[in-house]
Amino acid sequence: MTDQHVENIPSLREEGNRARKLIGDRGNHFLKQIEGETRANISACYQCFRCTNACPVSQYMDIKPHQVIRYIQFGWREALLQSSTIWVCLSCEMCTTYCPNEVQVAETINHLRNMAAHSSIAPKEKQLALFHQTFLEALRHFGRVNEFWLMGALNLKPGILKEKIRTGALTEEMALGLLLFRKGKIKLLPQRCRAMGEIRKLYRQERGEMD
Amino acid sequence: MELAFYPGCSLEGMAIDYSRSITAVFRDLDIELEEIEDWSCCGATAAHSLSESMAVTLPARNLAQAEKMGLDIVSPCPNCYNRLRASQIMIQKKIIDVPWEVTGKNQVHEMTRFLAAPDMLVRIADRVRKPLAGLKVVCYYGCQMVRPPRITGYTDYENPRTLDSIMTAVGATAMDWSYKTTCCGASIGIGRRDIQEFLTARLLDKARQADAEAVVTSCPLCHANLDLLQRKETQSTIPVFYFTELLRLTFDPGNASSKWFRMHITDPVPLLMKKELLR
Repeated sequence: MTDQHVENIPSLREEGNRARKLIGDRGNHFLKQIEGETRANISACYQCFRCTNACPVSQYMDIKPHQVIRYIQFGWREALLQSSTIWVCLSCEMCTTYCPNEVQVAETINHLRNMAAHSSIAPKEKQLALFHQTFLEALRHFGRVNEFWLMGALNLKPGILKEKIRTGALTEEMALGLLLFRKGKIKLLPQRCRAMGEIRKLYRQERGEMD
Repeated sequence: MELAFYPGCSLEGMAIDYSRSITAVFRDLDIELEEIEDWSCCGATAAHSLSESMAVTLPARNLAQAEKMGLDIVSPCPNCYNRLRASQIMIQKKIIDVPWEVTGKNQVHEMTRFLAAPDMLVRIADRVRKPLAGLKVVCYYGCQMVRPPRITGYTDYENPRTLDSIMTAVGATAMDWSYKTTCCGASIGIGRRDIQEFLTARLLDKARQADAEAVVTSCPLCHANLDLLQRKETQSTIPVFYFTELLRLTFDPGNASSKWFRMHITDPVPLLMKKELLR
């Protein structure tokens, strides 16, 4: 069907205008960016829903996995970075494994999570985002991660303790900690890695510091 | 035989029981495990969530350390295995630069697959002194050990058989079930308890429906999730074992006592007593 032909049919013309509005002035810039950075073949998605059907947590997501791919095609960057989907995703790789077109859905969602972490957009699932951040802080301190230190440091992050007291999660967490401690499963301090200089260098490299 | 052992952070903390049983089992099998010199964390989920490049560089240091030792690596934790393999592939393809001397030529073994090789199964069966006769288990693999197949190298990622064949070799009955590789929720319970409980409770329900008396796993995080969820349950609990704990029970029944299992939240002792596997 030629463009001319499309323009002559009012309903299709409207459809075309709407699509143009959806994709916006940015064209396929965002799609190309994501495809380039992740090497995922996002254009190949034909919306078969297999990713969403395989996903164990799709009912908790505001943008379902197949929609994530569609949103990227549309260039809806902000909606994706503001979504809970990117934080709820477990990286269990079901979607990637079952995609008939080898669109790397889990890796793409993970890449969006990376982008959100380096953007000014506040994460929709604050506790989950802070947990990842605290984990990397623990790693920077000791080179290894210790559960007790990790949970303690997470609770000291702004707003976390208040939220946990409000929901009553704190009492439960303390009871669990005590139970684990009695069972001998909790070690109070991590074993420290000796090569901390090498590991901290990776962190500096990540921030773009050269030395 | 000698292997470089990469324990991972969990095995120093919550999974200390797993760590102890691994040491004992490998000693019994005459395989020497040499802990990787001054190993560091692989970054786990947090690293790849926030920084894709650090998810490759962090495990690379351990690959470099193992290459210095000149040994192949064995990893008991599926997540560590997955991260080490992902890093190894990136290094082999020269996609990313790391500040260490590393080629990625030393093999990374996933522990259950290493022990489920035909010659290893014979070695395990030879060591059995008291088979787990009449014990019905379901084997739970989780996500990271099998997916994505292009990293883990599993061709039977929908129905992995490694743990099943090990359990069969020591006389247990491995029940068939459809939830072998369904996610347990990993660390999502930290921020979203509702999701965690939904996923883990479903696994336990399905294990009961499959007529299993125990769940066998090799992942420290899966074990913690499945075990801890049952702390408030009063009626029918289902014990969760690391597969090495059960191997140890069959290899050395003389020294078996209920003390071994005191670290579990869901007490497995009554079940083992009932099966006369423990005195």
